[in-house]
Amino acid sequence: MEYIDAYFNQQLGPEEARQFEQRISEDSNFAGEVAFYLSAKQALKEQVVLEKKEWFKELLAQNSSVNEAYHTGQVRKMWTYRVAAAAAILTCVFFAGYLFFSKSASPQQMADNYINENLKTLSVKMGARDSIQDGVRLYNKGQFDSSLQQFETILQRDSGNYLIKNYLGIVYLRLGNYDKALRYFRQLENYSTLFSNPAIFYQALTLLKRNQPGDKQKAKLLLQQVADNDLEGKQTAQQWLKKL
Amino acid sequence: MNFFKPFLPPDEREIIDGIAQNGTERKKGEERLFNRYAYFIKEAVYKYSLSQEEAFDLYSDTIISAIEKIANGSFQERSSLKTWVYQIFHNKYVDLLRKKSTNKNSIHHTLSMSDLLLQISDQSKTIIQKLVDKTDWEILRQRLAQIGDNCRQMLLLWADGYSDKEIAGLMEYKTSDVVKTSRLRCLEKLKQLYYTT
Repeated sequence: MEYIDAYFNQQLGPEEARQFEQRISEDSNFAGEVAFYLSAKQALKEQVVLEKKEWFKELLAQNSSVNEAYHTGQVRKMWTYRVAAAAAILTCVFFAGYLFFSKSASPQQMADNYINENLKTLSVKMGARDSIQDGVRLYNKGQFDSSLQQFETILQRDSGNYLIKNYLGIVYLRLGNYDKALRYFRQLENYSTLFSNPAIFYQALTLLKRNQPGDKQKAKLLLQQVADNDLEGKQTAQQWLKKL
Repeated sequence: MNFFKPFLPPDEREIIDGIAQNGTERKKGEERLFNRYAYFIKEAVYKYSLSQEEAFDLYSDTIISAIEKIANGSFQERSSLKTWVYQIFHNKYVDLLRKKSTNKNSIHHTLSMSDLLLQISDQSKTIIQKLVDKTDWEILRQRLAQIGDNCRQMLLLWADGYSDKEIAGLMEYKTSDVVKTSRLRCLEKLKQLYYTT
């Protein structure tokens, strides 16, 4: 199987690749193995598509703004052009205002915008049906208290689960319990071997949202850390640092 | 240098950059891309007189194809993201019409396998194609459900185009070599299940 995998990953040299193809012609068992490798990958790809479609269905159900976008972006009538002309002028005025005010957006506004765009719903793992995913689904339905209960119960059983700590931090952030959110994000920071860890960025986000005296300065330091060390959230951190 | 490359709006740039990464950023990028043009679904219902389900499938296939192309660098930014996605959407619609008129659903597997078979020489390709055509897809799907959650997740990520290194990050394996060994073991397991039951 490794040999077949190497061929399809183009890791064999020209001569080895030629021998591989020759073997297909001469060795029916080997040809069967190659065919199975391809059939398996094809069946898996189809499964990926099915699961993505299921996920898309959930997204569509969650995203009511899609319908609004459709209604606002659809049928063009003459009067819309007049409105569009007026809108263009207004847009220029607003754009100038935006350029002026975007530099001075409040920390809380920036945090709110980020939360609305990125944390309003959490990704549900494809095909998974377990207690963690149940908690995520409750969160996505806006049932924060129930999802909190679900995640707390899981954490009692599995105190080292970094994913749960991440979710708990997010739920507490949404509930406005910033101290607890910070506590979980700090715990999450200790998982230094994770491939991608948003803990420091989320701490900065929580501080910006809490906006108590000194929070902005602490958040800036954390964001700088995210930007300097290429951590998760780097792009947003860089944008925010320019504005803060 | 491509002088005709348009400037992409920041939101489109963000989507593309997100999908080009891995892990949660890719997932977020995929979600943003899907939501961004989801109104195409209703457009298809009105403009093309498709059922809601057909329009959803058409749009989903479009987004899946767009994600794959962005991830492997095929989107060359010669047009805006919206124009490009709409082009894929329209092409998929034409394919759907052809499929409807010729009723060629039965060649689905043959068509989609062609990507994977491209690198094999013609003579060997014919042999492999014949063997693949004999696959009992229903049994294979059933066996996939039986190989265990870990194996299944790993193989699904692999089929979704994630590299062994990316899978290592997502599934918290120490190295890509460990993933490769486990992935090939999972494929062997699937093969045994498929042939022995």
